[in-house]
Amino acid sequence: MKKSSVSLRSQGFSKLLGGLFLAGFVSAVQAQAPAPAPAPTAAPLPAAAIPPTWAQGRTPDGMNPTLVPNPPGISAMPAADIPIDKLKVPPGFKIEVWATGMPNGRSMTESPSGIIYVGTRFTGNVYAVINKGNTREVKTIAKGLHRPNGVAFANGSLYVAELSRIIRYDNIEQNLDNPPAPVVVFDALPKDEPHGWKFMKLSPDGKYLYFQIGTPANIIVPPYTHAAIVRLNLKTNILDYVAYGVRNSVGMDFQPNTKELWFTNNGRDWVNEDLPNDTLNKLTRVGANYGYPFCHQGDFLDPELGKGRSCDEFEKPMMKLGPHVAALGMRFYTGSSFPAQYKNNIFIAEHGSWNKTKRTGYQVVRVVLDSKGKPTKLEPFVTGWLQGETFWGRPVDVQVIKDGSLLISDDETGAIFRVSATK
Amino acid sequence: MTMAFFNFCCFMSSQAFAAPAAPDAAVGKTKAQTCFACHGENGMGIEPPIPNLAAQPPLAIFYQLVQFREGMRKGGAMESFAKPLTDNDIRDIAAYFSTLPPPPAKEGDAAKISIGKQIAQQQYCNSCHAPQFQGQKQVSRLAGQSKDYFITQLRNIRSGTRVDMDGTMGSAARGVSDAQIDALADYAASLP
Repeated sequence: MKKSSVSLRSQGFSKLLGGLFLAGFVSAVQAQAPAPAPAPTAAPLPAAAIPPTWAQGRTPDGMNPTLVPNPPGISAMPAADIPIDKLKVPPGFKIEVWATGMPNGRSMTESPSGIIYVGTRFTGNVYAVINKGNTREVKTIAKGLHRPNGVAFANGSLYVAELSRIIRYDNIEQNLDNPPAPVVVFDALPKDEPHGWKFMKLSPDGKYLYFQIGTPANIIVPPYTHAAIVRLNLKTNILDYVAYGVRNSVGMDFQPNTKELWFTNNGRDWVNEDLPNDTLNKLTRVGANYGYPFCHQGDFLDPELGKGRSCDEFEKPMMKLGPHVAALGMRFYTGSSFPAQYKNNIFIAEHGSWNKTKRTGYQVVRVVLDSKGKPTKLEPFVTGWLQGETFWGRPVDVQVIKDGSLLISDDETGAIFRVSATK
Repeated sequence: MTMAFFNFCCFMSSQAFAAPAAPDAAVGKTKAQTCFACHGENGMGIEPPIPNLAAQPPLAIFYQLVQFREGMRKGGAMESFAKPLTDNDIRDIAAYFSTLPPPPAKEGDAAKISIGKQIAQQQYCNSCHAPQFQGQKQVSRLAGQSKDYFITQLRNIRSGTRVDMDGTMGSAARGVSDAQIDALADYAASLP
């Protein structure tokens, strides 16, 4: 495998490279005309420079045009067009289309009154979903925000985590049709686009908002401020760091009895199709380090940055979830309507791979834990968004609601599905 | 070839789900009448600042029109043109333009074109925009695009005036200088 330099900030590096090239430094990058190809194929591109920042960690022969990023969901599929029959759940459960019309709807939270708030990453909207018995009413309560992916409800206010700030809509439920202008709660956050959209969760004691600041590139030695999980004290407005070495977590929840924080983590790209795994993790102590960028998945030293390091320096994951599945939202099952064996299990939404020739993920999985809180089993719970090598939907987050059913958001169709027990 | 798609493109597979009607290029032509004044019935912009739409991947046009409609992208008075369009209108319009013959290759400064080609290879533009810059899925066709428009857009993406969907283009654009953008524009325009 070709070495790739990952230690330099690519902006300066690329300009230097371009400058050197234009100055006549041609011999190392003498390019031949690529063979004409009518469609993107795996035809090898000429051996050339180290890929730029947006392709950090990718080798020249891995710049395969068939591995272009998935088209993001920015429109909503009409309810009648959603192929609900393709979704499969275990015996004893059923799944239905619960709400539609939320372009790029992603992270969810439920307020005490039962309203579901939904954030987005690409469209800049925040939605409120009101249950009206047989139907749901969807209101767009915010537009034009910058990556408002994180949502949390506390003290009658909706908190929204944008790319670089946390804002708050007060008395939101009395003003759903005419929401107040948001108050800026905290805006001293990094502005990096890569992995900058946030998942946010209120702590069980209501004191803190937890969210992540993801790494600013695929595989890079990040500043202390990045590749971390942080929490904002709502009373003092002080931000402190609880976990380091977390590449990008887009799903967190607190274990019901122990109140420990568990979180999913997305592994790096471009090692190969099978490594490293996305992981499920538990916060063992404030300040714990989960290994990025030196060690991945607890036992895999990074081919470039792991030299001279040991994975023993870092926390191990609680469970490996599969490579490139894009494990995002997770919740402990705390409801009473699913069969007893589901109590305190974890449901995880896998958004699905983009850089694997054979797709993985695109499902909601169930993690069973033993009486000591150790994961023992990983199994599919809802499948069917992936049909062969084509997907029509991508689950992003899960939410257990008051009646014990499980909501699943899908940012491709802009819909929310609901799984309930049939007995 | 008609492409049936929803929010993803069946470029690599012909599998489709038999629910709504497929996008219709003929219907799209009717719906696109307003577009022709600037973008031409043949999908060629009437002036250099106006982009060519001919042979664009349908999902690429869909993405831009949705972004204009939702206020995620601004420029060229496109917001008001996009506002009345439904998702299905946009799919039909995109289908029409995507079936048009591609813009003719433009002659240019051979040295500049050669430099542009090598920058494109170094920056791996074709890993998303496809080996002949014909585009794919939601990624636009650059081959035969107006130089003027190409330069404006890449500079706007670089400065953040135009926000790209996931930050990849922003990062890619920050790696190129004005001179390099010029060369890339010449190279793209020269491709059939």
